Amino acid sequence: MEQIAKSVPGKIKAGDIVLVLLVIAAAIAGVVLVSRASAGEKGSLAIIEVNGKEVRRLELSDKQGYRTLTVQGTLGPSTVAVEDGKVWMTESACRDKLCVGMGRIDFTGQSIVCLPNRVVIRIIDGAKPGSVDAITE
Amino acid sequence: MSTSRRVTNLALLVSIGLVLSIIESTFPPLLPVPGAKLGLANIATVVALYAFGPGMAIEVTVLRSILGGLLRGSVVGLFLSFSGGIASTLVMIVIYLLLDRYISIVGVSVAGAVTHNVVQLAAAFLLIQHAALFFYLPYLVLLSVPTGLFVGFASRRVTVSLQGMFPATG
Repeated sequence: MEQIAKSVPGKIKAGDIVLVLLVIAAAIAGVVLVSRASAGEKGSLAIIEVNGKEVRRLELSDKQGYRTLTVQGTLGPSTVAVEDGKVWMTESACRDKLCVGMGRIDFTGQSIVCLPNRVVIRIIDGAKPGSVDAITE
Repeated sequence: MSTSRRVTNLALLVSIGLVLSIIESTFPPLLPVPGAKLGLANIATVVALYAFGPGMAIEVTVLRSILGGLLRGSVVGLFLSFSGGIASTLVMIVIYLLLDRYISIVGVSVAGAVTHNVVQLAAAFLLIQHAALFFYLPYLVLLSVPTGLFVGFASRRVTVSLQGMFPATG
């Protein structure tokens, strides 16, 4: 004899709501953990792009001390500074200076963007060339 | 329920599950993530569980996974859907047997969807050995809430109708 269903599937029960909320909470915690894990590494190389094209690379090794680099953006010069493995924008020809206000960055995946002057600084892990490509085995 | 009637019901549920998964395979992907599916075929398993009991649910899942894998001609796909399907069916059966007072068919379906996605990803990890797969996990879990709810409500509708057609004496 086949077992007969215990309950006619009726209304939503309290446990359903608890279960759904628990799953959502776990998933959101997972999203936070994953994004931390993937963005939480110190980068070793800053790439400076103007108009989407890479113009300079800066080693973020902290042996060389404070140094700056000026690139020519669409509006005028932008000055990038490096010290102690961090990189930031010190001067920019743009009007709002948001990029200067973005502070110092040192983790892979972080970036400083100056839209008016078309200058982008982004950090990658220099030990993994390309950082986008995967290796197929 | 007589044996012939039972076999007929089993065959019907398995073919419903297969047809649903074929229909679903024509849908565009929900997310650009491997394994992100609506899981329509799970309706067959959930209905089997609530209308005919745990034994039928396992039989439907096993047959559906094997036949579906053969139809698609993919051994890897068979392995993935088999592991995910069996694990989710077992979890649903446990909840159905132990927590029936607190969790309805809809919650059971959500739990099944979550289990299916987690186990399938773990099985994919065994094959591919690429840690980046786990990057998808939280998104898959999140996605299994709406898909599980959908499957749950659909299964409830079907089960209520079935129980009207087959009185509990079977």
